[in-house]
Amino acid sequence: MLVVTDLYAGYGMSEVLMGTSLAVKKGTVVALIGPNGAGKTTTMRTISGGIKPTGGKILLDGAPVQGFEPSHIARLGLAHAPEGRKVFGPLSVEDNLLLGAFTRLPRFFGFRAKAADDLEKVYDLFPRLKERYRQASGTLSGGEQQMLAIGRALMARPKVVLLDEPSMGLAPVIVDEVFEIIRRLKESGITLLLVEQSAKRALEVADYAYVMERGRIAVEGVPQELQKNERVIAAYLGN
Amino acid sequence: MDHAVIQLIVSGALMGLVYALVAYGFQLTYATSKSINFGQGELVMLSAFVSLTLTNTGLPYYLMIPGGLLFGVIAGLFVERAGVRLALEQKSEGWILMTIILGLFGISAAENIWGRDDRPFPTPIPTEPIQFFGVSITPLEISVAVGVVLIMVVIELFKRKTLLGKAFEAVSADRDAAELMGISATRTIMLSYGLSGLVAALAGILVSPITTVGPTMASALVLKAFSVAVVAGLESGFGVVIVGLFLGSLESLTSFYVGSGWREAPGLVLLILALAIRPTGIFGKAVIRKV
Repeated sequence: MLVVTDLYAGYGMSEVLMGTSLAVKKGTVVALIGPNGAGKTTTMRTISGGIKPTGGKILLDGAPVQGFEPSHIARLGLAHAPEGRKVFGPLSVEDNLLLGAFTRLPRFFGFRAKAADDLEKVYDLFPRLKERYRQASGTLSGGEQQMLAIGRALMARPKVVLLDEPSMGLAPVIVDEVFEIIRRLKESGITLLLVEQSAKRALEVADYAYVMERGRIAVEGVPQELQKNERVIAAYLGN
Repeated sequence: MDHAVIQLIVSGALMGLVYALVAYGFQLTYATSKSINFGQGELVMLSAFVSLTLTNTGLPYYLMIPGGLLFGVIAGLFVERAGVRLALEQKSEGWILMTIILGLFGISAAENIWGRDDRPFPTPIPTEPIQFFGVSITPLEISVAVGVVLIMVVIELFKRKTLLGKAFEAVSADRDAAELMGISATRTIMLSYGLSGLVAALAGILVSPITTVGPTMASALVLKAFSVAVVAGLESGFGVVIVGLFLGSLESLTSFYVGSGWREAPGLVLLILALAIRPTGIFGKAVIRKV
């Protein structure tokens, strides 16, 4: 569904990605782990178009999308819940969700009715968002904002979801909740690329994983293998 | 308060509504792109000239208005394309100079095409005053007030009730995140410049029958609108109306009691006070953000 081949990208003169390759098959959860500064978030941002790659290919559902504007890539079926959640603070929870479905809703009137089913689904998944649907999203707690960011990405009915650091800055009990949601989404057949600082949790939920180091994929495999790989244990899984 | 004072306040406030409308044009583009068209006054003036020309071809008033507004939209889009987009793409502040230059071109163009003289702007709306509780007000002045309030209500409803309007707010809140939702920031900024041009054209059409039309008709107007936008803050549509009404009344009282030479003073004093005491403006929102 998503195939990245030999990707090069960076900020200005500094190259961050130096030949990254990875693939996410339909209906699977793939984790991308590695130390800070390895290029995980840069990979995500390059896939969704925020950074223009200087080399390599990105195929979304078989079609090349490298170099496209982010809004164009989003219309082609990629939803990116970015690092730091990036909810639209002054807008209400429900408006945030509706905007998540922007690409397939009428622009002026009747959009609420057309999105009703999807809103219902997201509210089932995150009852707390339903309680606060009229509240300005900037006033939500960090965990709630993360849930909103995930819900907003799902509203697009995307082919592929990119989820960047969902546990960042959250209390452990909230992180448990977020990963429980990811597990449920996996059961429902989502195609997901997950970047996560907490390698242990990411490997628990993933079908396949890539370990990134200095802009390249250093190790890859199914989580059961990686959990036994001495290099991975030493670097990321700790005791 | 005696009637003379009320009369001064009312007629000043009506002019203040025009300042508010031009200030609202600044807000529209600032919201999406954090840029404003410093040639907004020239847009007001050019739209007024085009509308006058349309009227002189014998077009009836109610058909001239859509024509003038259409010109405003096209001119707004032109400013965005020619003066703003490249600068924003390079994260440069070049749009400031570019929009000023486009404005100067506008003045030269107007002088060459229509000449330097001020011309009257014919209107079918009656100018004989009607008495309201001892205050006299002309139907023409009422039409200005109605026009300003109507267009602002329509645009605010668009922003709050339609999905495209919410997208407008989303780009304003977080441009990158809006792009990830499939909302094209470039197109949203174009839309905001188009709307801003529309608002400028309406201001030109509404104010011309009162002030006459000339190449420099809007230079004082835009200065005051800028004061209103800064004093009210660049976010609140409601704020510019309040501050506009206040400044308009204050000017009219000043020119009567202090002297007409002092007419421009209150706007500048308010601008300086706002910049010194509260640079975000009276109605400027503190951004709610949690990380």
